[in-house]
Amino acid sequence: MGTILIVDDTLFMRTLLKNILFSGGHTIAGEAANGEEAVAKYKELKPDLVTMDVVMPKVNGIEALKSIKQLDPAARVIMCTAVGQEQMVKLAIKTGAKGYIVKPFQAPKVLEEVKNVLAS
Amino acid sequence: MKEVPLKIEHAGKWEVIKAAVGEDRISFPAPVEKEILFKSVFDLEDKKNILIISAKGTPEIVIRIASVEKVLIILKRLILTNCNAYRLMAYFMSPAIRGGVLAKDAQWEKGSIVVVKTGIWFVSAAKQICIPITDVAAIELTKRDVQGKQTDVVRIDHVESGEVVSSLVLCPLSTLQVLVNFLKDTTKGMDMKGNELDGVAQQVAMLVYSGMDSHAIENMLNIPHKQLDEIYDRIIKLGIAEVITIRREVQLTTKGVRYISDATKTQTN
Repeated sequence: MGTILIVDDTLFMRTLLKNILFSGGHTIAGEAANGEEAVAKYKELKPDLVTMDVVMPKVNGIEALKSIKQLDPAARVIMCTAVGQEQMVKLAIKTGAKGYIVKPFQAPKVLEEVKNVLAS
Repeated sequence: MKEVPLKIEHAGKWEVIKAAVGEDRISFPAPVEKEILFKSVFDLEDKKNILIISAKGTPEIVIRIASVEKVLIILKRLILTNCNAYRLMAYFMSPAIRGGVLAKDAQWEKGSIVVVKTGIWFVSAAKQICIPITDVAAIELTKRDVQGKQTDVVRIDHVESGEVVSSLVLCPLSTLQVLVNFLKDTTKGMDMKGNELDGVAQQVAMLVYSGMDSHAIENMLNIPHKQLDEIYDRIIKLGIAEVITIRREVQLTTKGVRYISDATKTQTN
């Protein structure tokens, strides 16, 4: 179980992830609606893990991931992408993301990926 | 012809026999006494290690056989290579995504796609995977990054043990278009054209897919129970959801109120 920062520009997806992660016994450290907010919240909250949407306004998920990895090279970040964004996934993995989930997602798979990344 | 040991269902029971397998046919000796030319096979199903072979004939021949995995793999390969089906050489990745998570170690494999009456088979030297047509959830011509280049592929989504599994097919674009048209025709009746859902109903469908129960959906979308029920009715009617449990809300009768009042007194005394 860990503390998790959820980053997504849509309230719907944030709420969905929050419910899934909460049901898996995790603590929601906080939420951010864009990459800029994500980096600020990461500094402030120091969560065990971040779920990061890729396509977001202001600073996108990849840029936010880079900034978070600069702040904390050991940061655990799982990227959330839409179907068809495998290119982004590759880039994110190169940048240091520890895992990825593809929207729409199912609760057990999300929890499995979170568990794997937290154990890494 | 090579002899292979297998069990075959005959007259309601399983018989152990040695079937003769050639390049173009399989022969079953007495008591079955049947021969099937692979080119007459129009359907092949794999149900928990039981192979169901359907072949043309008067009447139609349906054979159920069971054997060790090694024998079944050889039989499936021979049948799928020679049967009467839509077939194309392609690269495929199956599974590519499972339940929204990219499959670990997923890679492109060279092989063929064989579409029989009830299933889509992905066949390579190492794999024989069947997607039952009734489980196909979506077919889409889309683009994927293949060796750094955006390439046209066909994505086939199917439902397996309650989760969506995506497979990808890669071959020349003209062939992909033929494949998409063929598969869409084969799976027609599964699309939602003209029955699109509104925003809230779409969100409900997504939450159901994500595993949320009614209570969680009501809270997340801030909608009353009655509205959720109406949306459920709509998506059930469209065939995109089914009822698995009916929950009841109850209120206490006078007898019940008296009971809990008494119980409270007992606890407080």
